[in-house]
Amino acid sequence: MKEVVIQGLSQAYSNLVHMFAEFLPRLLVMLVIVLVGLLVAYVLKTILRAVLHVTRLDRLSEEAGASRFLRMAALPSMTELLSRSLFWVTWSGFILIGISVLGVAGLQEQISRLFLLLPAIFVAILILFLGLVTANFLSRAALLAAVNAGYPSPKLLSWSIRFVIWALAVSMALEQVGVARQTVIAAFSIVFGAFMFGMALAFGLGGKELAREFLERNLTEKKREKHEEPQPL
Amino acid sequence: MLLQDENLWYKDAVIYQLHVRTFCDSNGDGIGDFRGLTSKLDYLQELGINAIWLLPFYPSPLRDDGYDIADYTSVHPAYGSLQDFKDFLTAAHNRRIRVITEMVVNHTSDQHPWFQEARSSRENPKRDWYVWSDTDSRYQGVRIIFVDTEMSNWAWDPISKSYYWHRFFSHQPDLNYDNPVVREAMWEVMKFWLDIGVDGFRLDAVPYLIERDGTSCENLPETHEIIRDFRKRIDLAYPGKMLLAEANQWPADVRSYFGNGDEFHMAFHFPLMPRMFMAVKLEDRKPIIEILEQTPQIPDACQWCVFLRNHDELTLEMVTDIERDYMYDEYAVDKAMRINLGIRRRLAPMMENDRRRVELLTGLLLSMPGTPIIYYGDEIGMGDNIYLGDRNGVRTPMQWNGGWNAGFSSADPERLYSPLISNPVYGYQAINVDSQRRSAHSLLSWTKSVIQTRNAFRVFSRGSIEFLNPSNHRVLAYVRRLGEEKVLVVNNLSSSAQAVELNLQMYKRHIPIEMFGRNLFPRIGDLPYLLTLGPYQFYWFRLRRI
Amino acid sequence: MAEESFLADDFLRQLMSVGEVDLLVGIPSYNNASTLAQTLQSVEASLRQNFVRERAVILNVDGGSADETRQLFVQSAERIDAGHKGLTSLRTVHRISCEYDKSPSQGLALHSIVAAADLLRARACVVISPTTTNLTPSWVANLLRPVYRQGLDFVAPLYVRSRFQGLLARDLLYPMCRAIFGQRIRELYSEEWGFSGRLASQCLEKDVWHEEAVRARPEAWMAITAISADLKCGQYFLGPKTASPTGTGPDIVEAIRQTVGNFFWCLETNQANWLSRSNSQPVPTFGPDHELSLDGIPPSQEKIFDLFRSGVSELEPILASILAQDTHAQIEAIALSDRSNFHFAPELWVKTLYEFAASYHHAVLNRDHLVQALVPLYRGRLYSFLLENANSSAEAMETQSEILCQEFERQKPYLIEKWTAKR
Repeated sequence: MKEVVIQGLSQAYSNLVHMFAEFLPRLLVMLVIVLVGLLVAYVLKTILRAVLHVTRLDRLSEEAGASRFLRMAALPSMTELLSRSLFWVTWSGFILIGISVLGVAGLQEQISRLFLLLPAIFVAILILFLGLVTANFLSRAALLAAVNAGYPSPKLLSWSIRFVIWALAVSMALEQVGVARQTVIAAFSIVFGAFMFGMALAFGLGGKELAREFLERNLTEKKREKHEEPQPL
Repeated sequence: MLLQDENLWYKDAVIYQLHVRTFCDSNGDGIGDFRGLTSKLDYLQELGINAIWLLPFYPSPLRDDGYDIADYTSVHPAYGSLQDFKDFLTAAHNRRIRVITEMVVNHTSDQHPWFQEARSSRENPKRDWYVWSDTDSRYQGVRIIFVDTEMSNWAWDPISKSYYWHRFFSHQPDLNYDNPVVREAMWEVMKFWLDIGVDGFRLDAVPYLIERDGTSCENLPETHEIIRDFRKRIDLAYPGKMLLAEANQWPADVRSYFGNGDEFHMAFHFPLMPRMFMAVKLEDRKPIIEILEQTPQIPDACQWCVFLRNHDELTLEMVTDIERDYMYDEYAVDKAMRINLGIRRRLAPMMENDRRRVELLTGLLLSMPGTPIIYYGDEIGMGDNIYLGDRNGVRTPMQWNGGWNAGFSSADPERLYSPLISNPVYGYQAINVDSQRRSAHSLLSWTKSVIQTRNAFRVFSRGSIEFLNPSNHRVLAYVRRLGEEKVLVVNNLSSSAQAVELNLQMYKRHIPIEMFGRNLFPRIGDLPYLLTLGPYQFYWFRLRRI
Repeated sequence: MAEESFLADDFLRQLMSVGEVDLLVGIPSYNNASTLAQTLQSVEASLRQNFVRERAVILNVDGGSADETRQLFVQSAERIDAGHKGLTSLRTVHRISCEYDKSPSQGLALHSIVAAADLLRARACVVISPTTTNLTPSWVANLLRPVYRQGLDFVAPLYVRSRFQGLLARDLLYPMCRAIFGQRIRELYSEEWGFSGRLASQCLEKDVWHEEAVRARPEAWMAITAISADLKCGQYFLGPKTASPTGTGPDIVEAIRQTVGNFFWCLETNQANWLSRSNSQPVPTFGPDHELSLDGIPPSQEKIFDLFRSGVSELEPILASILAQDTHAQIEAIALSDRSNFHFAPELWVKTLYEFAASYHHAVLNRDHLVQALVPLYRGRLYSFLLENANSSAEAMETQSEILCQEFERQKPYLIEKWTAKR
């Protein structure tokens, strides 16, 4: 009995030792990979940060008004944001590789799926960012034009444009990541359609007068306005 | 036909203008004479000219360089005898050189016996030969030509106590052509010289023959009537003799002096001359083209006379005020260079002794439509002396060699009618016929060759002219054409190298042959013909279809 | 690699034919067939009367006209040339024409003009607009002469102004440029001006011709280039100016985008020059240095004030990012005041503009947007101006204008402080 126990124990021990002997190098390899990944990610982050610094991305985002939103969301600057995401995306990639090296059965498959998603996530972030920038730029352009031309409710116009572009960007990003593809497209169609319908209703029914005024201004008022305002030059 | 063509000799002539006083002195009295001139005929023949235009050589008080004639039918004793003139004429004709003399028809000297008689009393039969008046207010508003010297066109005669009419100097009373006897007398004078053998007359100051109230007293129909009368008599009795009009007027006004081919054979083209000088200074062909475009067509038997310089000032009457100011500023900065409305300078000094520009202008003169006149001395690039008063600065003795009095006279230098040009640049030691004869590259040799070339092609004297209008305005290009003979002339009026593209589509497939070196140039094709020209360079091309 | 030339072969060929010139008259055109003949006549008359001896070229640069403007330019040249027996220029007056682009741009037109001026070694150049219908021969001569004879490098025009005309120049461009660049040139933005060949060559060398700011209104940039290079500027009084009914001027928004946008851009590109300048110098002026005619109906003002007020509230976040807090607060305060007592003080106006300029420099938002955000504020200032000057005499207006100018000069250190501040 004792023998059996000892044998079992020694068996278990030797198994354990064996497992350890087998697992330890993998763990070491994993650790090395993770460390190397950390290093690589750090280097990539630094490079990207420098590049973005040179290309003055911050100024661009500032100009487009995206920075203000980042600040409102208590996020760091655009450069920082992008380089940090690159850091994390890269490092997590390495961590995943490392984990897969451990050879834990079942995990392997999940990891490779996750791994495939990584670039998509990065692209999605980029799309969101561009969407943010574009939305701000265009909505502000519309706001200025509307204010300066004296159109009614310029904010509404500006926000509508912003909203549509956001919706588009978010759905594109989700589509990219591949989350519930059908649902996203359907959702976007519904949101966009509803918005357009709402606008149509607003102009067609509710704001019949407003719409007429809008058109009138556009087509006829231009000349009159010039007379109203003195020749600037 | 041949005879008739021979009668058109003036169209193919290259005229050499000289004053017998300035050319050569044979008897050592310091004044040129006919014998001297005769001795230099070989030189003129060698030069290639085929007509001589003599300035007045008649007896005269010489208060207007001989244009104040005191006797129409003899020779001033200083220049020799009538026989000397006849000998000269024969010698010239032997060399196929024609002789054109001056016929001052508008006025005489106040020393002329006719005027002496006319002024002697109001009843004298010759009284009516001149234009008299009791007041000086007739013909008001008629312009005064010699603005620098004359105050009025009327002068007071203290002897007959009345005013006489004069368009030029007050010592040159105008003849009264309303009087038929005057016309007959003048015809007698012409007959006298034509009988001796003179080939043509330059009629001086023709627009002013007749006076009428309320007119400018210029270019009147009656004046034309008189000329037609003279011409008819000449054609009848002396075919082949030529009449040349001096009418300093715009081309459109001069045109009437050709009539329907029944007045003058030739007339000077006065406005063209200053514009050639202007074009070279402006480096722009515009003035030349403009004036030639304003020049009307003339009858077939008629011809324009073109010139660069002559014994008078370079007249600026036929230019606008702006153009005159420009000419003064560019060519006569020194006030001493100006006289009346003109510039008293010779060709070479005006061109600052730049051989290229002298050649360009001579080339222009000889390739333009019309009979060219070369003023004595200009073929060697003689200088002038603007300090000699009146226009005597351009009438200094001809420079034959570097020796005693430039070979002009054996007299003491002090005795010469005019001092020689003696400065280091234009003086006779530097510029004279002998030294230039020795060099094949002298201005004289060049002038000879270019006259030769012109004489070899009738297209220059009789051909039509058609201007090419290349977009480069510093290049003046034209095609002279007579039947199948075609000559392309391209002149660079500017002081820098130029490229020009000529539209020669009409002459496609022709081969341009440069006329002085007889070299072939590339055949004219479909593209604009590209030529490059150095500063003031010009080309004459024969266009041949081979 | 051979550098691409922007001059067409055909244009170059025309330039070669013209050769060296003394004077160059540039006429940018775009569908101006109706008025071009008249302009050409004035230009030619001017050359005939004033520059008979000079070598001159009239250069038409066209922005892709569809109405045969170019053909007209060449044909009328032939027609005018014939039959001037009396007064005529001594030389050929060359007429050449080129199409610089298929769409109009004053900047590209000027690019071709200065390139031609440089290649032809023109000594004096003038740009003439075919839309000015009362162009007289003397205008052309007056813009050319100071350059050609007095050795100036830039000659701006001066016009008789009706009281309510050209207020953008009076209230913003002139005083601001005067304070910053130190030269008192009144009409920086005009359609006619003269310049020297030297200035043309310097401008040609700058690689700015495709900048958006220069495309539309290059003339002030040219003046500022001249000032920065210490070249001599002057102005010549030309008289009243009327524009062709077909060539309607830009509306207020477009005018501000073009002129202020261009001016701020000039500040940016020439900062090395103006940061160290102080005070301002009068420039040589031929004729009176301003003239106001008292006619002209005051424009309706209610609308202007409404646009100001709504602009201030609608653009609140944008203005907040451009202006200093204090300034923004002041503007918001006056926007709430009663319209009849409204007053936009010079001090506040100057401060506003300097903060806009500095924000432009720091690019706090898209620069075109930034300039557009100025429009409502300008309207506020305009309203205040019209309110106060409804019945003012010309002298009073001029005094006010001078006060504003001095305010600009006084506050210049503030601009420099804002401009050079690290963000």
